[in-house]
Amino acid sequence: MPGSDLYTGTLDLLILKAVSWGPRHGYAIGRWIRETTSDVLNVQEGALYPALHRLERKGLLSEEWRQSETGRQAKYYSLTNAGRTHLRSERKRWEEYSGAVARALAVT
Amino acid sequence: MTKRSFRLSDVRPDAKRDVDDEVAFHLEMRTREFIEQGLSPDEAHRRAAASFGDVQSIRSDLRAERTGRNEERGRRDWRNGLRMDVRYSLRALRKNPGFAAAAIATLALGIGATLAVFTVLNGVLLRPLPYKDPSHLALVWMTIPDDKGSLWDIPLTSGFYIDLARDARSFDDIAAFRSWGYSIGGEGPSDAEPVAGARVTPSLFKVLGVRPLLGQPFGDDAAVPGAPHVAMISHALWQRRFGSDPAIVGRQVTLSRESFTIVGVMPLGFAFPRGAELPAPLQFGLRTDVWTPLVFDSSDARNYGTNNLAAIGRRQSAVSLENAEREASGLLQRFLQANAPRLKLGYRLVSMADQAGAKVKRTLLILFGSVLFLLLIACANIASLLVARATGRQRELAVRAALGAGRARIARQLVTENLVLAVAGGLAGVAVSYWGTKVMLSLVPGSMPRADDIVTDWRVVVAATGAAILTGTLFGVASALSVRWGHLASELHSGGTRSTGDRGRRLGRQMLVTGEVALSLVLLIGAALLTRSFVRLQSVQPGFDASHVLAAGMGLPLAGPFDPIGNAPRWSRTLNDATARINASPGVVAAGAISSLPLSGALEGGGLRITGRAPDPPGEGPHAQYNVVSGNYFRALRIPLVAGRYFDSSDDAPDAGSIIVNRAFVRKYFAGVNDALGHTVSPTFTFKRGETKAIVGIVDDVKQQSLDEDATPQVYVPQSQMAYPGLALVVRVKGDPLTAVPLVRRELRAIDPAITVTDVRTMQSVVDHSLERQRFNMTLIGVFAGSALVLALVGLYGVIALIVAQRRREIGVRLALGARPTDVVRMVLMETSRVGVAGVVLGILAAFAITRVMQSMLYGVSTTDVVTFAAASAVVLSVSVAAGLGPARRASQVDPTVTLRAD
Repeated sequence: MPGSDLYTGTLDLLILKAVSWGPRHGYAIGRWIRETTSDVLNVQEGALYPALHRLERKGLLSEEWRQSETGRQAKYYSLTNAGRTHLRSERKRWEEYSGAVARALAVT
Repeated sequence: MTKRSFRLSDVRPDAKRDVDDEVAFHLEMRTREFIEQGLSPDEAHRRAAASFGDVQSIRSDLRAERTGRNEERGRRDWRNGLRMDVRYSLRALRKNPGFAAAAIATLALGIGATLAVFTVLNGVLLRPLPYKDPSHLALVWMTIPDDKGSLWDIPLTSGFYIDLARDARSFDDIAAFRSWGYSIGGEGPSDAEPVAGARVTPSLFKVLGVRPLLGQPFGDDAAVPGAPHVAMISHALWQRRFGSDPAIVGRQVTLSRESFTIVGVMPLGFAFPRGAELPAPLQFGLRTDVWTPLVFDSSDARNYGTNNLAAIGRRQSAVSLENAEREASGLLQRFLQANAPRLKLGYRLVSMADQAGAKVKRTLLILFGSVLFLLLIACANIASLLVARATGRQRELAVRAALGAGRARIARQLVTENLVLAVAGGLAGVAVSYWGTKVMLSLVPGSMPRADDIVTDWRVVVAATGAAILTGTLFGVASALSVRWGHLASELHSGGTRSTGDRGRRLGRQMLVTGEVALSLVLLIGAALLTRSFVRLQSVQPGFDASHVLAAGMGLPLAGPFDPIGNAPRWSRTLNDATARINASPGVVAAGAISSLPLSGALEGGGLRITGRAPDPPGEGPHAQYNVVSGNYFRALRIPLVAGRYFDSSDDAPDAGSIIVNRAFVRKYFAGVNDALGHTVSPTFTFKRGETKAIVGIVDDVKQQSLDEDATPQVYVPQSQMAYPGLALVVRVKGDPLTAVPLVRRELRAIDPAITVTDVRTMQSVVDHSLERQRFNMTLIGVFAGSALVLALVGLYGVIALIVAQRRREIGVRLALGARPTDVVRMVLMETSRVGVAGVVLGILAAFAITRVMQSMLYGVSTTDVVTFAAASAVVLSVSVAAGLGPARRASQVDPTVTLRAD
């Protein structure tokens, strides 16, 4: 069972990754996480939004209201420069971490 | 910074809507997803909510977090912005120190001078007097018609006062008081000190509503004949003479050789009556230090002839001043009908505040008006400086706008900048006013009533500074509004050198400066009129020669009832001895003494009957200022003899019956010198009734009260025939009059150690002192006019310099086309002169209309004196042209190739 730090860190990383191809609204981000992780993480969807707001406040995401594909106004999040840098370094850290864990588990 | 302002605008300011819409959108999309998977809408909706979690609590958490963040971000942005604005303003001002210094100095001068003058005006005219309910206090005077039928205020007699106090119902209380000089101490020769005293009815303290600091005020039982002597003393005397002894009450003190028990000490600052607030002839000291009971005996109750009492009443709140006066006059008329139907007397009530301020009200209002002119000029100057600066900054603002600063942001910046200026100027103004008030107080004539009540009123200072800051803000808003936003972009393209000042705006600025020139001319004309009048006054011959003359008051101890008949031999012997001994001293040319020293403010008057003429109705006969003289008075002051002789030893017999009159007396009451000489008159002012005196000499007129008065009839009586317990000594010496001071003190002490010596000064300083009010006015308005002229010069310079800067290109073209530099100079000077001439014409017109309020302040100069107007106009005109010289020279040095290429 991963610790809570790791958990939030993982969610943040996934969110940043979700918007790395361009602006997305919260629902789309949640759906992407659900589909790409095959619901393994089983995130309560409501928990996504505090994370989004927190990242926005830290300046890693920026937000903008605009028209969505259904014609309704939706809030779109996009990666700021700081967010992109953060994503890059966190991803590196994550790979080192998971690689180390995988190597450790491989030693039987 | 600009980036932050963009981001701010992209965040929805309404946190609740932001969160609600976002969550609602999510739920809607999720519901739609479930419906696509084949669920019923209701089921889909339920599943969407369930997979979201606790919608309510998440939503409210998000809302709270976002609201707090928005607020904090707003505050931080505002604070950062303000800090940046102030820092930017300071930098901008530092970059342009000339502008900043000019604006702050102008503001400081305007605010400071106005506050200083207002402080004096406030203390003398507006602040309540330091007594209980001062608005209910009224002085009571009797009125008497003069030859021309106008009414004069005179003091009451004891008889009239006693009747009024007994019968009048309009007053809660009424009190009488009169000046009484005491010498305090006197057991040893060096110890005696003259103190300003007053004999007052016990009711005075109740009327004024002031309680003693220590002890009790004396009661009615102290004011009956034969009662033990008691006295109240002032806080100042208590400190000075008794070292603030807390056990003072009950102590004995020697006042004019008699022992008095001190029964109380009045609180700090209480000095009623203060001489400057009451008519000078009543001879109250500037501050009264000793109060003793005014005792009426049975003869006083019947005395309707000696007008020597001042009276003050506290009218009942329900009774108006007019009704109280009507009641008093009614009582008086009934009495006169029954007893003296031909006497035309009346009562007049004057509120204490009016009485105190009456003499100086007009002068102070004129001074305040003058300083308001100065303030107006300062405002015009600042307005024109700010507009000039705003115009010059179009380019700078354009750059900032291009970098992304919003309109509101730039406007806020402009407002902040003006606010910084206004605060700096306001604070500097407070400093100037603090210092200015001190200077004013040192200049304020001692004769200024209520001088002690002048204190800085901090409420006024705060209000004035607040007003200045508010004005600064408004100016800032105005200049923000005057930025032509639409043109900011084109400003960048033009490179900023092209003339952008449109004609209308330039005209407005020229009008401001024209107004400044006009106002400063009005002030200068006012100052010049006062100066001319002052010079005239100084050259007025007072009728005596003040040079080489020493003056000093000498007083004999005066105690008990005033008994001039019984004490006459002692008084006249002592004082005649004094003048004779000093007269005979080496180095002394002539020495004499007089009861009312000319130009010292002292004055006594009385009626007389000319022998052989039909008696006049009471109060309508000949009237003269009279003076008791001793020794060689006329020779000491070199008052020329016109006919007859001066007094000599043959007049020393108490019944010799001789007087000397002046030219004005002869002119008014006789056909000529020969008609008057030898004629007998019977004065009513001497102590013995029915005496007749022969006119033995006629002397030239002497100015008694002020240099600007007309000659009035005067009568001189020898001291031997009308003894006074105190006279003013005048000693003419060969050299510096002050060298005679030790001699005078030595001789007087040799005669009687108890003689008090007061007011030792040269006669010239008495003359100078009599002009202190005029000097004060002249100095103050002169300073205002000078400052106004400097401000106008600066304002004019600023406008011309700006016009030249804006027209550089045009000037360059002209020079390139062959105009000579002198033509350019002439062009600029013409521009300056146009403003100068317009201002001068306007100023002359305004001065014609305004200077007449100064009528009463001027002597020997018409309020529309042509010479003064012409000279002041010439000064202002040349100053205006001078303002254009610098810019004109710079214009002629414009290099045509540079200006043309720059385009």
